[in-house]
Amino acid sequence: MLPSGVHFRGHAEEMRLLRTGPQRAALALLVLLLVAFPFFASTYVVGLAITVAITVIAVAGLQITVGMAGLLNLGQSAFVGVGAFTAAALYANYNVPMLPAIALAGLASGLVSIVFSLPAIRIRGLYLALTTIAAQVVFPIVVLRLPTAWFGGSAGIGLDRVQIFGVAVETPSRFYFVAVAVMAVMLLIAFNLQRSHVGLAFRAIRDNDIASSVLGVQLGRYKIMAFFAGAVFAGVAGGLYAFYIRYVTTDQFTIWLSIWYLGMLIVGGLSGPLGAILGTLAVTVLQELIHWGGNRMMAAMPQLSGGVIFAVTNIVLGAAIIYMLIREPHGLNHRWSVLKSAYRIWPYPRA
Amino acid sequence: MYRFMQRKMSGAIAAGAFALLAAAQPAQAQSTYNVSISLDYSGPFAAVMDSWYGGQQSVFDWWNETRGKTLGVKLNVKTYDMRYDASQVARTWPQILADDKPIVFLGMGTPDLVSLMKRLPGDKVPMIMGTAMVGPLWTANGWHFSFRPTYSQEFAGLFSYLQGRLPEKRALRIGTVSTQGIPGYVDQVNGVVKLAQTYPDRFVVANSQWVDNTPINVTSQVRELLAAKPDLILVGTNTAQVVATVKAIKELGAKVPVVTSSHNGLTEVAKAVPLADLEGSYSVFAFAPSMDPSVTAAQTFEKYNKTKGTWGLTAAQTAAQALLATAAIERAIATVGPTKLTGQAVYDALEGPAFGPEHFQGLLKSVAFTKEAPFPTANLSVKAVTVKDGKLVPVTADWMVVPELPKW
Repeated sequence: MLPSGVHFRGHAEEMRLLRTGPQRAALALLVLLLVAFPFFASTYVVGLAITVAITVIAVAGLQITVGMAGLLNLGQSAFVGVGAFTAAALYANYNVPMLPAIALAGLASGLVSIVFSLPAIRIRGLYLALTTIAAQVVFPIVVLRLPTAWFGGSAGIGLDRVQIFGVAVETPSRFYFVAVAVMAVMLLIAFNLQRSHVGLAFRAIRDNDIASSVLGVQLGRYKIMAFFAGAVFAGVAGGLYAFYIRYVTTDQFTIWLSIWYLGMLIVGGLSGPLGAILGTLAVTVLQELIHWGGNRMMAAMPQLSGGVIFAVTNIVLGAAIIYMLIREPHGLNHRWSVLKSAYRIWPYPRA
Repeated sequence: MYRFMQRKMSGAIAAGAFALLAAAQPAQAQSTYNVSISLDYSGPFAAVMDSWYGGQQSVFDWWNETRGKTLGVKLNVKTYDMRYDASQVARTWPQILADDKPIVFLGMGTPDLVSLMKRLPGDKVPMIMGTAMVGPLWTANGWHFSFRPTYSQEFAGLFSYLQGRLPEKRALRIGTVSTQGIPGYVDQVNGVVKLAQTYPDRFVVANSQWVDNTPINVTSQVRELLAAKPDLILVGTNTAQVVATVKAIKELGAKVPVVTSSHNGLTEVAKAVPLADLEGSYSVFAFAPSMDPSVTAAQTFEKYNKTKGTWGLTAAQTAAQALLATAAIERAIATVGPTKLTGQAVYDALEGPAFGPEHFQGLLKSVAFTKEAPFPTANLSVKAVTVKDGKLVPVTADWMVVPELPKW
């Protein structure tokens, strides 16, 4: 909903991501804040922001597959792993520069995802989810069985120096700028994909695949494309992760991580890339607060053991997510839309 | 006379002032250095963290009160809740470097290794681990150290001991239960396979079964394993797998001992299955068990522990880790002096000659590092505990020698 007086002269103008002056000003302010952030935040918080940026990319990819195209994917972490191993191997073994290595990591994950997207042509729902779990199960076994020279086998791959154009990006603040820049590019792609004809086809498949095929959408092709696009995002996230942690092994990419990604997307809202951002932020902040609170509680109540605190933090985190879903089943993205439209038409009430 | 009195009085005043100053100052000014420690108070190992940290804290408090006072150094311990998460370690590390400037870092497990292995040489901070290592970490020039060799080498020490006690002269038949897809677990089996290949007349891998990471039931796999007639079953992975294997052995009416490590050892398993079902099973590790009478670290723990933790295998393991750190620090002080301690100095000390058993309060024999590996590779020995008549007892009072095992 837009405020009174805002109107467009053409479809292209209406479809713009930034349509009003205040929207452009808000984006400029956000960019300014993101640039200034590492100068006033502690190294720990900057590190947290890097993790959030990497996770947002992976969750935005999941939003394309699950939210946009309606294809349930429980193996996103495996595709992140493929990207991480590809980027690390290219950088460490073939001296491919960091940014091209990350891009190729995305491509590699996308290509691998095609294998697991083929069943999507015939099946959907929980049955499809099972095939994506297969990706999660197969990923570590394949990596460990491949020749050690490729992905390091059980040793994994370590990255000694992380540089872009000869400049070391190993400090949190420098890596922050790389991570946020890559995230911005990927989010731009995600937002644009949503309003492209491909995004429209994805949404048509999600809403009713039989009806969309009657309308001329090639189901098989677009379902594979949806998996491919989602996995490209995962691969890019994996590439960034490899350069951030500087060591990759298969046990860093578990099914639990896939479930967390899905949880973040559900909390944020499936309907758009903004849901991926809001969900990742909300769950990360919640996790941090609960861990912080848990540690404070343990310091204040020495009679409690660490095991109790850990169990309680998990219960609280789960309960908080359930509460958020009950209160806002369409995710935080929807709540944000409601707030925005309320602000735009203020002082008049929403219909 | 007046001048004499004046001189005498000023002399007395000067002597009094000196005495006051001397009384006010300690015998030697103490230099303070930070030692940072990775812990897991809100992650999967939170339940054992009190005992884990208790082992470290008691050693550092003991050292500050005794050795540190003599040497003029105080170690300030800073702990960090890393949640057993590599990302958490990666984002906390720059803060540790900036705020603590530690001379040594005590790691907890794989997340610390994964996140810091490649950073430590540049940051010039050595990391000391308390866990056993794995084959893939057998690389040169690292700044990470463990007093324990690989899991496979630790198992080899017990296997060698048991093979020597077989009633007939034959190879010890080893069965393994592990999980595919987890590099560290696969590596344990690979190391044992290498042992059997190196000493075919002494060891044979009778059968290997691959199970889920946290299985509910492994009876069918154990049935197949038992068909190969193993003398023992190695489960070096996690407690869930040991519990499932022990239950399966009982269900199948067999009597085959299970060999575990320290992290998934008999004490932990006994929380889920009766100790009677573990009769004859083993836990093996490269430090003396907590109940060993020669371990004087138990008294140190009793006197200095401020946590809710109890003395046991976990505390003994981390006490040994802390004792290696203090031994290296003492050597570094001897080389560069108490006022010039750095991470580099502690690293150089770790890379120096062997640390004798006098440093380790009965927990370790001697520890020597070379540039070729981040753990001792020569003259290795281990100790083990077993369940006898429903009680956990050391297998033998002597250290068991580990047969030489080439890289795999």
